[in-house]
Amino acid sequence: MTHDPIYDRLRELSWRRELTSAEAAELQAWLAAHPEGREDWEAEAGLTEALGRLPDAPVASNFTARVLQAVERETAAKQRRRQRNWQFTGWLRWLPRTAVAMLVLGACLISYHRLYGPQYKELVQSVAAVSRVSSLPGAEILKDFDAIRVLNPTPAADEELLAVLK
Amino acid sequence: MSAELDPDAALMLRVKQGDSGAFAELVHKYRQPVMNVAYRMLGDATEAEDLAQNVFVQVHKSAHRYQVSSKFSTWLFTIARNLCLNEIRRRSRHPTSSLQAPHPDNEDQPLHQVEDAKTASPPETLLHGELEEKITQGLAALPENQRLAILLCRQDELSYEQIAKVLGCSVSATKSLIHRGRETLKRELKPYLRTGVWRESK
Repeated sequence: MTHDPIYDRLRELSWRRELTSAEAAELQAWLAAHPEGREDWEAEAGLTEALGRLPDAPVASNFTARVLQAVERETAAKQRRRQRNWQFTGWLRWLPRTAVAMLVLGACLISYHRLYGPQYKELVQSVAAVSRVSSLPGAEILKDFDAIRVLNPTPAADEELLAVLK
Repeated sequence: MSAELDPDAALMLRVKQGDSGAFAELVHKYRQPVMNVAYRMLGDATEAEDLAQNVFVQVHKSAHRYQVSSKFSTWLFTIARNLCLNEIRRRSRHPTSSLQAPHPDNEDQPLHQVEDAKTASPPETLLHGELEEKITQGLAALPENQRLAILLCRQDELSYEQIAKVLGCSVSATKSLIHRGRETLKRELKPYLRTGVWRESK
């Protein structure tokens, strides 16, 4: 194994492709100057060729068709999963809205009860009490009040009778 | 703009838009290279074919993530690498039964009977078959990252920079992996390489 930069560079090139004529000449010149590197170079070249001659792996003639079928199955399965998820979560989407609506309704009921519950009862009772009182005469009967007063003066108080009654 | 695009990138842009014909073209073009890598990594043709199909299914599933800036072959072989390594690790967690294990009904007979390929080969291909077997064994015995580096090096579509991207390491580290793997193979195949039997098998 060498660590010569020229040899390393040419060797790495040979791993990927055949050397150009210029590169091959450069290599031959280097090997002439470094005969100890010839054995390694022979082994490198041999291995590269042997690796290149490895046969291709067998590929089924319907490989592409099977890949396309697998892709179709995968796409169909994804669609089914999406649909199931939507069905499962579809009604769940209404849950938060329903919860908010229930909260608002509950808050309204509570507020209503707190504001109008007992006071409403008192109000009802008051109205009931007032309705039992006989209705007062209307204001029109008072329109002749002054005339009646002048014509029919109020008698003076009987003080002797009041004293007896005490 | 599209004329400057790598042809594979142009096809992938069509795949992103749902063009199944473009996808079929890419599969047809790369099925052999991907199979070669999968087969040499896993050592089993059936498993390699399943894995290679999965590579392309993943390509289709991940098409929306493909960036035109990166070369398609680099992206493709990165997916292949990940699936190969996942499979190798899965195997190491769930090892299969040994070929030498005895048959439960007859202890004198092995559980798995494998045809001896050597005796079935015609004489003129014996040396070539033996060399191929030795290289196959040698590759299979390499650490997976060295094996993969050597296999990717055989792909004309990939430069050293692209191989480095697939492997997730630097170019110098990639070359080092290839070099170390090759040194091991050279040691094991020395008798064959010295005699030039690989030349005689032409």
